[in-house]
Amino acid sequence: MVATVLRLKLRLLANTMQREVWRVILVVLGALWALSMVPGVVGGARWLAFQPLEVRSSALVVVGTVLLVGWTVIPVLMFGADETVTPRKFAVLGPDPRRLAPALAVAAMLSVPALFTGFVCLASMLAWREEGGPTTAFALASGAAAFATCVLASRVVTAFATRLLSTRRARELAGVLGGLVALCAVPVGVSLGSLGLEGALERLPGLTTALSFTPFGAAWAAPAAAAAGEWAGAFGHLLLAWGFVGAGMLVWVAQVDRLMVDPPSTVGAARRRADAFVGEVGAPGPTTTARLARAVARRALRYWLGDPRYLASLASTLLMPLLIAVLLAVVGLSSVSGAVLVAPLVAGAVGWGRHNDTAFDGTAFWLHVSAGVPGVADRAGRVLALSAWAVPGVVAIAVGGAWLAGRWDMLGASLGLALGLYGAGLGVAMVSSVLLPYPAPRAGDSPFATETGSVGASLVAQLVATLATAVLAAPVVVLFWLTAEGRASLGGVVLAVGALGGVLVLAAGVVLGGRLLDARGAQLLARLT
Amino acid sequence: MTTTPDASASVALRLRGLTKRFGETLAVDRLDLDIPTGTMFGVVGPNGAGKTTTLSMATGLLAPDAGLVEVYGVDLWREPARAKPLLGVLPDGLRVFDRLTGAELISYAGLLRGLPADVVAQRRDDLLAALDLAGAARTLVADFSAGMTKKITLACALVHAPRLLVLDEPFEAVDPVSAGVIRRILAQFVAQGGTVVLSSHVMALVERMCDHVAVIGAGRVLATGSLDEVRAGADLEERFFDLLGARGPEAGLAWLRPS
Repeated sequence: MVATVLRLKLRLLANTMQREVWRVILVVLGALWALSMVPGVVGGARWLAFQPLEVRSSALVVVGTVLLVGWTVIPVLMFGADETVTPRKFAVLGPDPRRLAPALAVAAMLSVPALFTGFVCLASMLAWREEGGPTTAFALASGAAAFATCVLASRVVTAFATRLLSTRRARELAGVLGGLVALCAVPVGVSLGSLGLEGALERLPGLTTALSFTPFGAAWAAPAAAAAGEWAGAFGHLLLAWGFVGAGMLVWVAQVDRLMVDPPSTVGAARRRADAFVGEVGAPGPTTTARLARAVARRALRYWLGDPRYLASLASTLLMPLLIAVLLAVVGLSSVSGAVLVAPLVAGAVGWGRHNDTAFDGTAFWLHVSAGVPGVADRAGRVLALSAWAVPGVVAIAVGGAWLAGRWDMLGASLGLALGLYGAGLGVAMVSSVLLPYPAPRAGDSPFATETGSVGASLVAQLVATLATAVLAAPVVVLFWLTAEGRASLGGVVLAVGALGGVLVLAAGVVLGGRLLDARGAQLLARLT
Repeated sequence: MTTTPDASASVALRLRGLTKRFGETLAVDRLDLDIPTGTMFGVVGPNGAGKTTTLSMATGLLAPDAGLVEVYGVDLWREPARAKPLLGVLPDGLRVFDRLTGAELISYAGLLRGLPADVVAQRRDDLLAALDLAGAARTLVADFSAGMTKKITLACALVHAPRLLVLDEPFEAVDPVSAGVIRRILAQFVAQGGTVVLSSHVMALVERMCDHVAVIGAGRVLATGSLDEVRAGADLEERFFDLLGARGPEAGLAWLRPS
């Protein structure tokens, strides 16, 4: 079974690569990057070999934790990192999940990031080479356990997240989780930043001891215990590590079993409700365009609240900037700027995030084409729906950031930059989603699925949207930077330029995107899947 | 120059030289077809004949490489804003906004067509009742069966009371009772002066419902005219096989018997 699934995965990869040169380039680039890291990894492991035991042990537990956190978080944030072979596709063949699940897990090891992780896990042996055979043997056995844990964790977490987002309570859960992460991440980042790197490292030993009893550190602690001559502890940690692998495999088998016969339901909202379209939306508007835009906005809002794909992109656009802000704060950019930058980052990500908006309609977009909806009404409706929650959200985050940083003088500048980035990103998105659509997961697919053969198109569209947003937002970014550099009096100017400029760029995007849509609606429909 | 739609035009839908190429495949090849006003017009043809491609181009959903589409004398691709209100479309193989409920989807279609709210509400309820979907009005379309989705999409095509209905495979997956209902609705629509174009694989159904037919093969019209003209004294299905060159009994599957 393992060999069959591996062959299948290789064949699928080869076929996609034949169809799309972009994917070959990506894999080659990824492989080159991984190869370029090899000397660093080997050198680091060798350097560790000459460090005191405690430093070695702590450092490796931290490395292991970072690896596992990466393997659990990144697949959820990066949609469809690797979904070439999914359990559902085997359902019709009726395989035994106890044989299929391990095969799928092994197949998941066949990717550049996975192979690199495996290399890191094995390279850690070098740090223990001087301690004699038994310790090296422990390092080998535990390195393998750590690698298996990473790969299994990514499978289990992805399957779990897909099901979570598809349940009825998806909206509430996504909202609550997003809020919790926001609440925790910013203070943690700020306090880490204020501790400084040395201060944080001083507190490590206690933390690493705790981690060595969890899936994050158990495997990495085993050789350390062996090197210290604590053979009972070494065996204990190793057993624990493989126990976690076993438990993960049991969960994965159960998930595969269920995924085959009971794929996650794909409707996230309440399934029964009254028609609110006519009453509220159909009220006579000032113009036909305004009335049509309101109808489009109402439909889009329904999707924002009820479609797992939108919920997933909502969650990731909120999480990404938060992670970036936390990283900035940790790396030592003053903790203050970290908190003040969150609102602009979120705003930019939310606006820019709609650069493939039309593709999310899929072929259902025919209804707009066939009704001859004016392009401007179509675009304006989408902007209204997003702004209904995004603008209040961004304002709230900006106020919260200023409060956390204790920098009320920066509120105006932060808000101005946020609105400027939002307007520029969304304005660009309204044009690029007409000109450069790329395949999006269909309504009903897993929000984490990616359309094979879309990498090239999506890279081009994302690159173009990013550059255009950057150029359009440049003035307000420069003004914000001047303010942050000490000219706090400029805050009002940043706010005015950001808000007005954002609105202007957004309006231009709606009009231009609308005209393009009028001219090429049918061509656009033909490119949606 | 703009054209006013000509309600008395004898031809509801005129296709001239329609051509569409997908890569190496010529899907529709300089296709000419006239759909007379007030007819129930059936379009038949084998899989891959170009029926869906033709109907998509005739309704503004797929840009033709070449050729002309006139709806009641209005050039659809040059003056879409005038031609599209005359058209009601049921496409095949395209999705709908299935995160809306049945009632919401009809309302959305009506609002997009620019109808006032009270008219939309009235027609939505009438359509739900007529198509026996009242029970599903508050359910998400994603939870509908294939046949129910077909019916709700048909309701979307009817909501703005178009003059010409273009329906691609309207009876696929629809149960016999619902099919009867749809047939009666369409017959009534034609009796009041409307025009219906529908495609189907089922010869018997086309023979029973339609007064005019066109047989399409390899992207061209092989025969068209009134039902009697096309079948020329024979069964429509026999004529269909004649026009396309029928095949003998399937060879090569000798092993396919219960083991």
